[in-house]
Amino acid sequence: MNTIVCVKQVLDPEIPPAKFKIDPTAKQVIPPPGVPPVISVYDERAIEAACRLKDKHKGKITAISMGTEKAADVIKHAIAMGADDGFVLQDAAFENLDSFGTAYVLGKAIGKIGEYDLVLCGRQAADWGAGEVGSILAEMLGIPVVTLAADIQAADNTLKVKRIVSDGFEVLEAPMPCLVTVSGEIGLPRLPAGPRMMMARKKVVSVWKASDIGADSAKLDKANAHTEVTALTVPTRKTECEIITGSTPTEAAANLAAKINVLI
Amino acid sequence: MSPVSATYWGLPGYIIFWVLFAIAFGVFLRRSYFLYRLLRLGKPERRSDRIGQRAIFMLSVVSSQWCALKTVGFTDLAGLGHALMFWGFGFFLIGYVIIFGVDGGLGLSLPPAFEALYRSILDIAALFVIAAVIVAAIKRYIVKPKRLEREESPKEKIIMALLFTTMIVLMALHYGTEALKYSAYNISPSPIIGGLLANSLTSAGISPATLSATYTAFWWINYVLLLGALVYAPHSAHLHPLFSPANIFFRPLGPKGALEPVSAEETENFGVSKLQDFTWKQLLDLYSCTWCGRCHAACPAQLSGKSLSPREIILNLKDHLLEEGPRLLKGKAEASSKLIGDVVAEDALWACTTCGACIDACAVKVEHVRRIMDLRRNLVLTQNKMPETAQLMLRNMQSRGHPWAGIQSLRLRGDWTDGLDVKVLADGDTADTLFWVGCTGALVERNVKATISMTRVLKAAGVDFAVLGEAETCCGDPARRVGYEFQFQMMAEQNIETFKSHNIKEIVTSCPHCYNTLKNEYPQYGGDFKVVHYTQFIGNLIAQGKLKLANGLNAKLTYHDPCYLGRYNGVYQEPRQILQSIPQANLVEMARTRDKAFCCGGGGGHMWIEEQSGTTKINQMRLDDALKTGAEQVVTACPYCLQMFEEGIEHKNIKDSLKAKDLAEIVEAAMQPSESKGAA
Repeated sequence: MNTIVCVKQVLDPEIPPAKFKIDPTAKQVIPPPGVPPVISVYDERAIEAACRLKDKHKGKITAISMGTEKAADVIKHAIAMGADDGFVLQDAAFENLDSFGTAYVLGKAIGKIGEYDLVLCGRQAADWGAGEVGSILAEMLGIPVVTLAADIQAADNTLKVKRIVSDGFEVLEAPMPCLVTVSGEIGLPRLPAGPRMMMARKKVVSVWKASDIGADSAKLDKANAHTEVTALTVPTRKTECEIITGSTPTEAAANLAAKINVLI
Repeated sequence: MSPVSATYWGLPGYIIFWVLFAIAFGVFLRRSYFLYRLLRLGKPERRSDRIGQRAIFMLSVVSSQWCALKTVGFTDLAGLGHALMFWGFGFFLIGYVIIFGVDGGLGLSLPPAFEALYRSILDIAALFVIAAVIVAAIKRYIVKPKRLEREESPKEKIIMALLFTTMIVLMALHYGTEALKYSAYNISPSPIIGGLLANSLTSAGISPATLSATYTAFWWINYVLLLGALVYAPHSAHLHPLFSPANIFFRPLGPKGALEPVSAEETENFGVSKLQDFTWKQLLDLYSCTWCGRCHAACPAQLSGKSLSPREIILNLKDHLLEEGPRLLKGKAEASSKLIGDVVAEDALWACTTCGACIDACAVKVEHVRRIMDLRRNLVLTQNKMPETAQLMLRNMQSRGHPWAGIQSLRLRGDWTDGLDVKVLADGDTADTLFWVGCTGALVERNVKATISMTRVLKAAGVDFAVLGEAETCCGDPARRVGYEFQFQMMAEQNIETFKSHNIKEIVTSCPHCYNTLKNEYPQYGGDFKVVHYTQFIGNLIAQGKLKLANGLNAKLTYHDPCYLGRYNGVYQEPRQILQSIPQANLVEMARTRDKAFCCGGGGGHMWIEEQSGTTKINQMRLDDALKTGAEQVVTACPYCLQMFEEGIEHKNIKDSLKAKDLAEIVEAAMQPSESKGAA
């Protein structure tokens, strides 16, 4: 089976909070200097899900990432993990697109890649966390979507997906081709095997511009965006620390439980 | 007169003598050739360079018995026993050639004066051997030190008992045969002890015929026993007398604990997963092990109750080799049990901190750590198995270029330079001397203090240096030590490129792990730079008079040797000289110090790997060593060690009585005039 994985490169979510700066007037995040961007965590798990399916059913994995030229790093990471090929979608016209614009660009790139059985996305990006692109992209591609996958099994032309719901999970079946967004419950992504890592490092990742994928400039026009950021602020963090004690570990645990019960 | 000149049951003694010899020697050779073929199962490895140097070292260490004598201490005289046994039995080996070969087999009669002389020497050598056997037996069966605690198989028990008994019997036969000969044939001059015994036999009034018949019997018994020993030696599991000298000859001449690079191209199977993946030298190690257990008694993982024993790894692998060897030689590719899992436990491989105490403790130059790393590499690179905590560390290294992340990361890589006025290299800048801070020194709060101290020291001494700031990445050591070799290779190549792009000539490192990596491991990837550890650099500044430690430090200090600085690189003296040059500083040593220093528990990736549950923490044990000295400050020169001590002190809640310090912090405090103390 052929899988396309959409991955995003984001500002490292683990930077010290004090280093997180925004420009409120431009409504943009200012990346701190010298901090390399990282792969969005759920997207890395989407690659893992694709690799597990490939381990079982063979086939080809193609990774795409819309972003800056540095996004080649996440494509190389995907290749090191097990993807066969990958492309970076980079164009001035792609900058600051909303979820609809992003889905449109990804859809055009998928159209250029051609045949596929499955499209995988992370459940949401680690930076904005909207969680919209996957569903919109499925709509645009005209294929079924299953979100929040904890497990994906393929048989014949059908996909069986274990999907996270608030009080447990449900199992859904969908015909292929379809799109699945992957949740953290799928499990830890694999560490790239050595030889793949060395191979991926030498890989030259092609960059597709708007013209390469035949994107309609009107669809990329910010004036036609479906959403607008009206304000951007840094949340205030307040930490209150209280040490819960007890004369024995059992008593300390009981005190802690009592405290938590009051707080929630 | 020689027992071989007589005729026995119609057969000339000479015939019996040489037939027995041919059979015994033939069996000996056959088995030796088999053992040689087993070694050839291993992969090639070049160990035949610098033959002269190797030979001189081997001969001097073995003949002087320094290999054994260096282990002698007040509580352990076994090394002395070994030396006595070696010298004593060494004379006997020569003596046996003379007695049985020249005198017996060839029938040459020796001048009586010469014979009396060499027999006198043997009389004394026999006392050496008897003394050694007594020392060894007391040690093994009565004292039973930690290193000899072992579930020995019945076979192993028999070997040791046989060895002891054979030695005593051989010595008794020596005296007996000698006394009988001198008394029966009334020869003079006679050897010292043999002569005395002969006199008492003569005065006992036994007839010369009885004496000479008994002599002949003793002579043949002695000869047959010797041939039996010759046959048994290569067949027993106790192969060290035959192979240890060779192992010392082929010892590694490069940096200690050096790891071979793994090539991504050549294979699908990385590291070692079966006997044939070891090199022949690694198999020779197995033959050479004397099961003296010194590695076992020096291993911090073992002493803290973990499942690793370097001795058991070696001995179990030896048994595996001897058991599986014949099948493998017949062309069977697969052994019947799995090397990792059945022979060596996985959790034992993860318990190793790569401190190298086992290597230094070994009298016959067995290389334990490289073997453990080769097995770890297979787990990680081929089987994709490693502790989850190690995986998290590697993920950080892949995406962030350093192993520290998550809640520890309160700062960014270059933050420590804020307000220090240091030269941070930008693209295209060049510098002769680079201060390589290391991830821990740049990112972990406690260690940043030491980094800042070091920077101030360098500036105070007027050193022209630069740093990489936010552009510095991990040296790759944690990845390499957890077995994830290719990540290390990428880091190494990237860093070497960075050094070259800035035209760096000399690198001063804070962290001994970075130091070892840059100095000893980067040359494998084309990075030849002058690398010094900061203790060496500061020592040099003091010697040149550029740095004066005038401010007294009225405190009792103890210095902890970081493994990768001391054992791996032999830097023991400089840190101590620096501390001793501080006025009023009172340096006391821990009981386990220098090459016997006990690990802090942080090496080999263990800063990020959880210790086996239910075991003692290694850093607590080392902290106890420091506490026993009564020192107020424990000083070290490694960021991991410093963290380990801080954690131990916190855990024990003894912050008021013991402080953990980096040497750079001590130097900074000592270089300031008293009045401005505390201003920094």
